[in-house]
Amino acid sequence: MAKTTPLKTILTTSLATAVALPAWAEGELSLLTWEGYADDSFIAAFEAETGCRVSATYVGSGEEIIAKMAAGGGVYDLITPASDITKLIIEAGFVEPIDISRIDEWENIYPQFRELDNIQMDGEYYAMPYTWGAIAFMYRDDAFETPPTSLAALFDPRNEGRIALWDDKSAIYVAARYNGDTNIYTLSDEQIAAAVETLIEQRPLVRRYWSTAGELVDLYVGGEVDISNTWAGYQSALIAAEGIEVTEFIPEENAEGWMDSWMIADGSADNACTYPFLNMQLSEQGQCGVANVNGYSVANPVAARNCMTEEQFVALHQDDPAYLDALLMWQPLGDRMGAYVNAWNSVKAQ
Amino acid sequence: MTLRIIDRIGMGFFLGLPILWIVLFMLVPYGVLLTYSFWIKSYPLFEPAFQFGNYLTLLNEPQYLSVIGRTLKIAVIVSVTALVLAYPFAYFLVFRLKNATIRKVLFFGVIAPLWVSYLLRAYLWKTILGTQGVLNSTLMGLGIIGEPLDVFLYSQAAMVITLTYIFIPFMVMPIYAALEKIPRNLDEASADLGQSSWTTFWRVTVPLSLPGVVAGFTLTFCLCFGDFVAAFLVGGPDGLMVANVITSQFGAALDWPLGSALAVVMLVVVLAIISLSDRFEQRAKVQF
Repeated sequence: MAKTTPLKTILTTSLATAVALPAWAEGELSLLTWEGYADDSFIAAFEAETGCRVSATYVGSGEEIIAKMAAGGGVYDLITPASDITKLIIEAGFVEPIDISRIDEWENIYPQFRELDNIQMDGEYYAMPYTWGAIAFMYRDDAFETPPTSLAALFDPRNEGRIALWDDKSAIYVAARYNGDTNIYTLSDEQIAAAVETLIEQRPLVRRYWSTAGELVDLYVGGEVDISNTWAGYQSALIAAEGIEVTEFIPEENAEGWMDSWMIADGSADNACTYPFLNMQLSEQGQCGVANVNGYSVANPVAARNCMTEEQFVALHQDDPAYLDALLMWQPLGDRMGAYVNAWNSVKAQ
Repeated sequence: MTLRIIDRIGMGFFLGLPILWIVLFMLVPYGVLLTYSFWIKSYPLFEPAFQFGNYLTLLNEPQYLSVIGRTLKIAVIVSVTALVLAYPFAYFLVFRLKNATIRKVLFFGVIAPLWVSYLLRAYLWKTILGTQGVLNSTLMGLGIIGEPLDVFLYSQAAMVITLTYIFIPFMVMPIYAALEKIPRNLDEASADLGQSSWTTFWRVTVPLSLPGVVAGFTLTFCLCFGDFVAAFLVGGPDGLMVANVITSQFGAALDWPLGSALAVVMLVVVLAIISLSDRFEQRAKVQF
């Protein structure tokens, strides 16, 4: 009898498996997502129950998701872009429709999200809403005698060198609102130019344009800045954990809101793990799982009601649909996206 | 006969693999980049085309020229700073230090950081330069400043400091090598002819070490010109460099054609500098 080396065993087994199961990816899910959306604290149980192995690649920006998919994202099964780029992803053909009859709690999702045009095309849904939040503003408690309530604080020379602003096209949204232009997702060229002017005037006051969550935390903890915008619920908790008191606020000029959803990459609907995973993410397990890890609000308030404490439920504004309605939810910019991004680059290039 | 054929096959392998490597991993990607630079942005992505619109955008919109200008400026400042620090250091090691062991230790002291991850070293500077960082605490402890200074971090100065530190080994190595090759008897001959050591330095040592200086300057300059991490980690609101704009075109703006055009321009600048320095180096070469 011939000796069987471990390598031989592996080869034979995988060959046999390949013959028996044509869909070799069965039992494996590959995610392209944000940190925290596939946290072990709630994914481990899913893996144990279903036998599906979940692996995640983390991205730092939504554009990274597009870039990876545009470069041929064949290895990913599920992605989690924000609501401003879902439309583009659908129209670029990177994803396939979701059969909502297979999503158990679909009807529990906020109607505001289900009705969004940017997750649908030709009467079919392409995204399952998952989490949401505000691009709120935040200040260090001990730095202000009178708490700021307006965007004016970010343009006030008295705060020179103590201001941080998100290094993103969102800066254009902020400046436009400060200028009194509330149609931030449909700005004209003149309005964008005015926003650029405002940002150039503000630039000498700015300590740093921050780009990652950890970086903003470092800026507060290192005593570099006192006021900034922030991904509500996320960085403030990390900063508080370092013993620094900060307060989030929605300014008089209002704030942007975002919603992340799960989308199925083209060719992955047949993966036997896809729908069980989506259902888990929309259930109490996934919704409270992500809320506990990232501090974001979730898309299924029914699940949230059941698995959150009263305190958390209120803190994440799950009890208050008016809060959600007031936010300026990110809209797809379509072919105007380049104009926004280049306007923001031109501020930094000055 | 057969031996010669085997020789030839062996030679083919020997040369073929590197050539294949260069074609696959350098020429083909550059070709792809060049092709993309003529394409056109069209929502949601981009379409094949042959037009010069992307290059015209780079010329017509002031932001691109101003970023290229800033990047050149920072690269020059860093290269000059590195040269001013590296030359006396290398000179001291080669000509003044008598102890060979100490010379080796000092030389490797400069080179050793290359074995540490670039990112780690850049992060390190953040903790040194920060408002509550090592530098400010030290200066305040010594009573030199009363309030922490914030110019050290998130500024162009911070980028220059970080880049100089990171790329200085590339300046020290070629200068050290060039100085080491200068025959010592030239020094003595100059002295015998009644020249002061100052004149000897300027008229013998410096000209003979020029190829090393040019090589070091070119390396440092090109590495700086293409850097994007320093701006990302320690740069301030005025720290945007060309490489950062390219990443933004490939990412946030989703305009690969414009990003490619910018990358091609950058490549041309770097190639121009390399061929210039090559010519300069050839002319400065002296046979002993």
